Amino acid sequence: MTMTSLVFLHDPIDLLLLSLLISVVGGFASLLLRTCDAAAIRVAGLAGTVAAAVGLCASLSSLSGSPQVLDVAGPYPFAHFILRLDPLAALMVAVISLLSLVASIYSLSYVREYAGRGVGAMGFFMNLFVASMILVVVADNAFWFLIFFEMMSLASYFLVIFDQDEEAVSAGFLYFFVAHAGSVLIMAAFFIMANYAGSFDFAAFRTAPVPAPLNSLVFLLGFLGFGAKAGMIPLHIWLPRAHPAAPSHASALMSGVMIKIGIFGIIKVGIDLLGGSGGVVWWGLLVLAFGAVSSVLGVVYALVEHDIKKLLAYHSVENIGIILLGVGVGMIGIASGNPTLAVLGLMAGLYHLVNHAVFKGLLFLGAGSVIYRMHTKDMEKMGGLARTMPWTALSFLIGALAISAIPPLNGFVSEWYTYQSLFAAAFDGTPLVKFAAPIGAMLLALTGALAVMCFVKAYGVIFSGPSRHHHADEVREVPAPMLVGMGLLAVACVILGLAAPVVAPVIGGIAAATIGTQAVAMADGALLLPGNAQQAVLSPPLIAVLLVALAALPVILKSVLSGGQRLQQRRGAAPWAAGYLPDEHMSATAASFAQPIRMFFGPLYDVRKTIAGGWGKVAIAFERLVTVARRTEPCWDRNIIDPVTEGVGAMGRRLQTIQGGDFRVYCLYIVAALVVLLALTVR
Amino acid sequence: MPDLSHLVLAVCQALLLLAAAPLVSGFSRVIRAKMHTRHGPGPLQDYRDLLKLMNRQDVQPPSAGLVFRIMPVILMATLLVIAMGTPILTRFCPISASGDLITTIYLFALARFFFALSGIDSGSSFAGIGASRELTMGVLVEPVMLLALVIAALLAGSTDLGTIGTAIATGHVHSMTATILAAVAFAFAVYIELGKLPYDMAEAEQELQEGPLTEYSGPSLAIIKWSLALKQVLVVGWFTGVFLPFGSSPDLSLVGVLFGLLVFVAKVVVIFFVVGIIENSVSRARFRFTPQHSWLGVGMASLAFVFYLVGL
Repeated sequence: MTMTSLVFLHDPIDLLLLSLLISVVGGFASLLLRTCDAAAIRVAGLAGTVAAAVGLCASLSSLSGSPQVLDVAGPYPFAHFILRLDPLAALMVAVISLLSLVASIYSLSYVREYAGRGVGAMGFFMNLFVASMILVVVADNAFWFLIFFEMMSLASYFLVIFDQDEEAVSAGFLYFFVAHAGSVLIMAAFFIMANYAGSFDFAAFRTAPVPAPLNSLVFLLGFLGFGAKAGMIPLHIWLPRAHPAAPSHASALMSGVMIKIGIFGIIKVGIDLLGGSGGVVWWGLLVLAFGAVSSVLGVVYALVEHDIKKLLAYHSVENIGIILLGVGVGMIGIASGNPTLAVLGLMAGLYHLVNHAVFKGLLFLGAGSVIYRMHTKDMEKMGGLARTMPWTALSFLIGALAISAIPPLNGFVSEWYTYQSLFAAAFDGTPLVKFAAPIGAMLLALTGALAVMCFVKAYGVIFSGPSRHHHADEVREVPAPMLVGMGLLAVACVILGLAAPVVAPVIGGIAAATIGTQAVAMADGALLLPGNAQQAVLSPPLIAVLLVALAALPVILKSVLSGGQRLQQRRGAAPWAAGYLPDEHMSATAASFAQPIRMFFGPLYDVRKTIAGGWGKVAIAFERLVTVARRTEPCWDRNIIDPVTEGVGAMGRRLQTIQGGDFRVYCLYIVAALVVLLALTVR
Repeated sequence: MPDLSHLVLAVCQALLLLAAAPLVSGFSRVIRAKMHTRHGPGPLQDYRDLLKLMNRQDVQPPSAGLVFRIMPVILMATLLVIAMGTPILTRFCPISASGDLITTIYLFALARFFFALSGIDSGSSFAGIGASRELTMGVLVEPVMLLALVIAALLAGSTDLGTIGTAIATGHVHSMTATILAAVAFAFAVYIELGKLPYDMAEAEQELQEGPLTEYSGPSLAIIKWSLALKQVLVVGWFTGVFLPFGSSPDLSLVGVLFGLLVFVAKVVVIFFVVGIIENSVSRARFRFTPQHSWLGVGMASLAFVFYLVGL
C-alpha cells in the first residue's frame, strides 16, 4: 500500500466506506461459496470481523468533533447520495460494529450448527444486514434512508425465516407486516417534511421548520413508525416472536442493535430534524409514558417465559422502555428550554442504548451457546449447566448482573443516570412533568426489581441446581470462537461500568452535540455527577474496589474464628427434602419461580391478551383483505375483461352475416351507400 | 473522592455495625423470651452461636456450584459497602460516592440477587421457594422505598442520603406532611426488609426451613447469619439516617461522632424494642395476601406524593 492510500484511509468516512465494501464483498463471496459450507462460514465470518474492526476504528475517532460529510451526486435530483458521520451516527456505528465484530467471531463456530441448510445465504444476509444498518445511520437523505431502512428490514426478515419451519415463517410474516406498516408512517413523516424543505436532504429538513400543528403530526408519524421498529408496547407484538426465530448471533444483532435504529430514528425525527421547529413538552411526556409502560410490561411478560430467547426478547422491550425514559426527559428538557436537563436525559438514554446492546448481545450469545449444546430453547429442560459449561455460565452471569442494573456494572450506571434525569425533571419542571417524572422513577424501580427476579430465574434454572436433562455426557463447553465472542462483551460490560467516569463525558458530549448545546459536566475525576455535584455523586470504580477489598473480611473472619481445628468442606450431602429422596423435579423451575408474580400481577397479563387480541383483529382483518382480494381478482375478469372480449367476439360474428358471399347483395350495399352519400351531399 | 478522615469514619462505622449486629439480634431474642415469659438466653448468645458454627464442618449439596460458595462473602461485603455509605453516626455520608439513595437500593439488590440465586443453586426445593419469595418481596417493597425516598429527595433537592437527612434535621423541607407520610411509607418498607413477622417470608423458619439458608452449614452459615443481623441494623440505620437524623453529628469531630453513636444506640434500642413487640404479637401473614399489605405502603407513598405536589 502506498503512502497516499494510507493517508486516504485516515479519513473516518473513507474507512467507513472500506468497511461497507468488505461487508458487501464478503456477503457476496459467501453466497458464491454456498456449495462449500466450511468456506462460506469462514469467508462470511472473517469478512464480518474485519469490516467491523474497520468500522469501529472509523467510528471511535468521530465520536466528538464536527460532522464529516460525503456528498455524491445521486441518479436523480431528489436522491443525493449524502453520508454524514456526526457524533450520534458515529456512536451508532460504533455499537453496530462492536456487536457485529463479536457476532462474526461467534459465527465462525456457531453457524456450523446450520451446515447443509444454506449457510452461504446466511452469511450473505448477515453481512448485508450489518452494512445496511450502518448505511441507515449515516444516510443524510430521506430517499436513501428509506432505501437502506427497507434493506435492513428485508435482510433481517430472511434471517428470521431461516429455519423455514411454520413458527419462523409465521413470525417472519408478522415482522414483515409490522416493519412495513412502520416504514409507511416514516415515509409519510419524511414527505411532509420534504414538502416544507423542498428537498429530500436531511440538511434541508433541519433548516426548514414545519409549522405548528403539522410538526406534531410529523413527530407522531415518526414516533409510531420508528417505535414499531424499536418494539415499544403496544407495537412490540412482532419482537418476542421474530427475535427467537432467528439464529442466535442474528438475534444478538437484532435485539442488540436493530431495534436501537428505532430509537435512533425517534431521536433523529424528534430532536435532530424537528429541532428547528422547536419541541413541544407533550412529545417528551408521550415518549416518557410509552417508555414507562414498555419497561414494566416488558419485564412482567419476560418473567413468565420458559423459552430463553423469548425471555430475552421481552427484556428488549423492557430496555427499550428504559431508553425511552431517558430520551423522553431529554425532549422535555429541549421543549422547556432547559439544556442541562435535555443533555442529561438524552445522555442517559444513549448510555443505556450502548449498554443494552452490549449486555443483550452477550445474553443472546450465551443463550445461543446453551442451545448449541442442548438443542432446545426450553429452560425447564436445562439445569446445572455451570458445572459443564463454566465459561459460558460466567459470561451469562455477568450479562445477567449487568441487565439487572447491579452495581458497579454498566447497566446500573446508565439506569442511575436515567433516575437522575427523572429526578432533575421532577425538581424543576411544569406541574405535569413534576407529576409524571417521579411516577416514571417508581416504575423504573419496579422494573429493576422484576428484572433481578427474572435473571435470577434465568441463570438459576439454566446454570444452577440439579440438571433436568438426560444427555449430560454430550454437554460440554462451546468452542473457542464462541467463548471469545462472549468474553469480549462480558469485558465490555465491566469496562463500560467501571470506566464510566471516562465514558460518560464522551456520551454526554454526543448528546450535547445532537441537541446543539453546551456540554454538561458528567464526571469529575472518578466521580460521576448528573450536571451538578449537589444533586448526587457516584463512583463505580470506588464501589468495585470497596466490594473487592471488603470481600476479604468474611474470608479472614472465617479463618480466624474457626481456630486451628478447621474441618475440610464436604460435598455430596443431598439437599434436605423432608425425609424423601430428593430428585431434580423438586428443585426450582422456571414456572414455579415466577408463579407469585403471575399471581400478583394477573391483571397485567390480561392486558397482553387485550393487546394480542387487538393485533389478532388486525391480522384477521388483513387475512380478510387477502381473501377479498382473491375473490375480487376473478371479478375483474368476469365483469370487465370477459364481457369486453365476449362482446368483441359476438360483434364479429354478427358482422360476418353481412359478408354473406352473394355478389348481388354486395351490389345492393354499393347502391345503398351511393344513395346515402348523395342524400347527404345534395341536402 | 473521599478524603482520609471520611474513609476512617466509614471503616469504623462499618466495623462497628458488624461487631454490634449479633448483639442487636441477641437483644431481639431477649425481648422475645420476655414476651414469652421465658428465662431465655442472654443478649450475647448470638456471638456464641456464631463461634460454634465457625468450628463446624461446611457441608454442600452435590449440585451446589460457585454461586453457592461465594454468596456468603458477597453478601457480607455488599452490606459493608452500604454501611460505609449510609449516614448513621453523622449527618453526611461517610463515602458520598456510594451514599446515593439509588445506589443504596441497588446495592441491596446486589445482595438480594446472590442470596436468592444461591437458593436455586443449592438444589433444595425449600431454598428455591424461599428465593422466589425473597425476590417477590423485593418487587413489592423496592418501588415503595424508592418513591418515599424520592419525595424526600425532591424536598431536599438532592438524592444524597446525607443531604436529605440534613434538610430534614434542619427543617429545610417545605412540606412537613409529605415528609412525615414518606417517612411512614419508608418505615413500613423497612419493616418488611427486616424480615420479621408478619413478613418473615423468605426465611420463614417453620414454613420453609429458613429458605435460602436451608443447605448452608458451618462457617458459611455463620457468615450469612451475621450478615443478616448486620442487614437488620443497617436498614434501621438507613431509616434513622434519612428520616430521624436528630442527634447525629453534623461534622467530623470526635465528640460529635461519639455523641452520634450514643444517640444511634438509643434509637436502635427503642426501634428494636417496638419491632420486638410487633413481631411477637402477630402471626405470619399469608404469602399470597402480601400484595394487599404492600398496597398500603404504595398508598402512603402516593399520599405523600400528592401532598408534595400540592405543597402542603
